Amino acid sequence: MALLQIFDPKARPTPVGIDLGTTNSLVAWLVDGEPMCVRDCDDSPLLPSVVHYLAAGGVVVGAEARAKAARAPRETIASVKRFMGRGADDAETLRLGTYEFAPAVEGEGNVVRFKVHGRVVTPVEVSAEILRVLRERAEEKLATLGGAVITVPAYFDDAQRQATKDAARLAGIEVLRLLNEPTAAALAYGLDKGRTRGTFAVYDLGGGTFDVTVLELDDGVFQVRSTGGDAQLGGDDMDRAVATWLLRRAEVSDADPTAVRAALDAARAAKHTLTDAETADVSITLGGKDLRLTLTRAEFDALVLPVVERTRPACRRALKDAGVRAEDLDGVILVGGSTRVPLVRTFVRELFGAELLTDLDPEQVVAFGAALQADLLAAESPEHDALILDVIPLSLGLETMGGVAEKILARNTTIPAARAQNFTTYADNQTGFELHVVQGERELAADNRSLARFTLRGIPPMPAGAARLEVTFRVDADGLLTVTAREENTGVTQEVSVTPSFGLSSDDVERMLLDSYEFAEEDLLARQLKERTVDAERVLAATRVALDRDGDLLDEDERAEVDGAVAMLQKALQDKDSRAIHLRVEGLDRATQPLAERRMNRAVAQAMAGHDLGEFEALVKDRPEHPHLAALAAEEVR
Amino acid sequence: MRDPFAELGVPRRFALPMKEVAQRHRDLSRALHPDRHAAGSAAERRISIERAMAVNEAWRVVREPLSRALALLELHGAPLRDGDRAPPAVLMDVMELRESLESARGDSAAIAPLRARVAERIAQEEAVLAAALDLDEVTPEGLAAARAAAVKLKYYRRFEEEADAMDD
Repeated sequence: MALLQIFDPKARPTPVGIDLGTTNSLVAWLVDGEPMCVRDCDDSPLLPSVVHYLAAGGVVVGAEARAKAARAPRETIASVKRFMGRGADDAETLRLGTYEFAPAVEGEGNVVRFKVHGRVVTPVEVSAEILRVLRERAEEKLATLGGAVITVPAYFDDAQRQATKDAARLAGIEVLRLLNEPTAAALAYGLDKGRTRGTFAVYDLGGGTFDVTVLELDDGVFQVRSTGGDAQLGGDDMDRAVATWLLRRAEVSDADPTAVRAALDAARAAKHTLTDAETADVSITLGGKDLRLTLTRAEFDALVLPVVERTRPACRRALKDAGVRAEDLDGVILVGGSTRVPLVRTFVRELFGAELLTDLDPEQVVAFGAALQADLLAAESPEHDALILDVIPLSLGLETMGGVAEKILARNTTIPAARAQNFTTYADNQTGFELHVVQGERELAADNRSLARFTLRGIPPMPAGAARLEVTFRVDADGLLTVTAREENTGVTQEVSVTPSFGLSSDDVERMLLDSYEFAEEDLLARQLKERTVDAERVLAATRVALDRDGDLLDEDERAEVDGAVAMLQKALQDKDSRAIHLRVEGLDRATQPLAERRMNRAVAQAMAGHDLGEFEALVKDRPEHPHLAALAAEEVR
Repeated sequence: MRDPFAELGVPRRFALPMKEVAQRHRDLSRALHPDRHAAGSAAERRISIERAMAVNEAWRVVREPLSRALALLELHGAPLRDGDRAPPAVLMDVMELRESLESARGDSAAIAPLRARVAERIAQEEAVLAAALDLDEVTPEGLAAARAAAVKLKYYRRFEEEADAMDD
């Protein structure tokens, strides 16, 4: 620990951006308006996403952990991101790897559990270890960490997003926003070059995930048109393809974890060499056999081509969904370390036929974008004026009669999104509705990802078809889903934040939080007071800003009520009374409700200023969308 | 149902200048999106997300011709019902088109002319919708014509979706 740190005591907390990657993780923030990644003592911005568990307890994270992987393949977890939000019996969990899994525990969900030194850890906990190191790295340089934007693959489903947020919570990081990786990259490019309009594709091939996004930039608004991908495809698969070939050449079984680890490491090293060189020498010992060979670029390309080819359908579909032809694109942004592979570049150039944008480091660009977004969200005076309108990557729906999945929010719907749908009973005297929430594009619910099941009970007996069930799907700006069900005749309501099936319940996370070393020594009440104080100060600051700017929207009585609520909260803060702070924050929230509503109306009025209905009518007459329609319409009227 | 046209502040019409409507959606998003209120009070953040959701939903409904037509019919008190069917001649026509589509599966060159035929029919129905709905006074006859057009549009849209699926 550093002995002496000198910080400006008045400095505001700095919001940061975190790229929690399959292979490497980074943390960045703005320095003089420019995003910068924190570097370690070796001057590398990359923290290998590898966690080694020590026999005596405790962990080692990063390059040091990676170095231990060869000798302790079971106790060293790499590419943990591939297991986030996954089930223990998912095909993905069972692929070529070096881990030992703990059997599922009855009643504790079907989450993946690694077995290390007799301990059991979940992917969320492993990811939290990586995030904790990133937090520490940031805190060494910053007075206070002001929350983080954490990036996720655009193609991550709800369970995977929730798992990421849980990991951040476990690591003691306030999540300002979950941001899609390709969108983050586009933000970094758009703001870096001062581009103002255009249509771009982002091709993001990382260590374990592939995303493709088509977006339109218009005057500072980054509007995602479509996104697609494969949450289980990346550079790791190239390594696996080469490693499998090496194991076969050495005639060694892929059941030997040490040999598998060695083959994977050799494969990765060869891949890196072949980025610039035409050949790579491989020299390893696999299962006691020495293997020496030279791998040419052509041989390597042949081995990994099937992996690269797997990105083609998602790219074609993303273009189609966006209603954009490849020739309309103004450029393709390359993201992710795997886009350094020459074959990938050739493939992308051929597929899109557009200019490849590579001037920002493909491994840092996502963290840059996250830092920019963090600044937009949390800085007092953001450096830029940009807005991201993102989408959901996969349709969300319910299982209905006959096991059919009925889509409620279609893929590529702009978020935040909310949509209600009505259902009814199909049996007489049915007193409950079972709801099965699924995500995916397949027709049958069973072929899609199961997100949650819950039952709405307590409905009085009615004939079939008489009950009116309204189910509302809401997806927030983090892409996280909440489902509410309401029987309209009786008003029975139930709400679920969709977690379980493959995730941790909030109780699990709370328990992990309590178990974790960090909080064991800290008095729980003290922690609560600290959190509530931070929250209260933020509310007070927000109220001050709102009153300064739009105080005129309140009459005297309303103003007095707000001032009174502010004074009471300040008193509670002075008294350091945790319960009172909590109550007074709620009181202030109620008192400022009218102000908040009117401020929003004022913002809308300003946005619409000078664009009234009359202007639209004029446009319709001058320049109708479909000239033939106007002509036909005129004819019809006559 | 909330009026999606009012939500976006655009006239309640079928034929709309979509570029400007898209611009309106962006302007409103700039004012309402939760990212713009991340530092605001809890009340402000709550209202922002609700309003942003409403604006996004309105934009989803208005941008696509079929959902726009259905919304207009509902606002005029004449919503489509489950039992509404197209006349037999139209059903026959669509059935034939779908059979041709089935035999053209995976063959983009063979699918393209089918798509063009359907696009022509869609344009016709859209013209009917605009003529019937974009008047100061919508007549009962106009509404009946618009409903018939919307039903046909539904079948044609479904054809387009199937064509998309088979064109991969």
